[in-house]
Amino acid sequence: MALVDLIRPEVVKVPLVSTTKPELIRELVEVLRDAGKISDVDLVYDALMKRESLGSTGLEQGIAVPHAKTPAVNSLTVALGISPKGIDFQAIDGELSKLFFLLVAPPGQSGPHIEALADIARITKSQAFCRTLASATTPAEVVELFTED
Amino acid sequence: MNGPIKKILVYVDGTEGSITAAQYAVVLSRAVRAELSALYVINTRALDDLLKARIFIKAEEEEYKQDLEADAGRYLNHVRSLARKKGLAIEAVSVSGSVRQEIKSYVQAHDIDLLIIGELSHVRSRRDEFYNEAERAMRSVSCSVLIVKDEDQVWELYDALT
Repeated sequence: MALVDLIRPEVVKVPLVSTTKPELIRELVEVLRDAGKISDVDLVYDALMKRESLGSTGLEQGIAVPHAKTPAVNSLTVALGISPKGIDFQAIDGELSKLFFLLVAPPGQSGPHIEALADIARITKSQAFCRTLASATTPAEVVELFTED
Repeated sequence: MNGPIKKILVYVDGTEGSITAAQYAVVLSRAVRAELSALYVINTRALDDLLKARIFIKAEEEEYKQDLEADAGRYLNHVRSLARKKGLAIEAVSVSGSVRQEIKSYVQAHDIDLLIIGELSHVRSRRDEFYNEAERAMRSVSCSVLIVKDEDQVWELYDALT
């Protein structure tokens, strides 16, 4: 399943209210819980924080891609959040991160997980698209940006 | 094997759609007496891209590569089983690289007449970046391509094959 199929209004949060990395990851994990995608918030949160402890997933140009494998999900699950003010995610360019793609996948489904991450790697090469996405103010607007004809 | 289709390749990526495609490939291969091959591509190109983009760290790349190798073995064994149950010989192969390029190369190297793939994603963005790998392969191979739909009907066809 392509990334675009996974991004629905119920897994998008705009604006994010968190001001730190742990708060932000928990906030997006709770989005997944509220959307009915996961039930064990702590298990998913711990998996994501463990991955972050190996190296930040904060990339360049305000984008971060926290991700992890965890048995707490049955299939690849994505949440997307936008922080207009930005958060210090220890990004590799030292800038604040504003766009957050959070992915969790079960062990044994690495193929879809990798394809979704590769989709993100490709779209984040487009500065224009990322700027437009970062300026979105509603979940519906975000989804429309991914699916418009 | 005197008909127009002598060699069929089914692309298997572990999705339900690709397994349905494999069932259909078994049915079609039996019907037209074609040789059947199944290909799984360990997408090391994507792993490399993720490492370059710094989404992956090196240890993670290795871990996911091992996962994909295990997936390849598991899914190809399943496809072998689907063929064997219907008395059909199958060549099941895994390779590493770019999905699109490896499918294209296999088709050329083995004189494949027909590539069979699973159903494509329903939702499409206008952005080129969202093309999935099977779709990109479909566009680049030199042979004809068949996209398998309707899982229920395919299951009935497969089940009815004696």
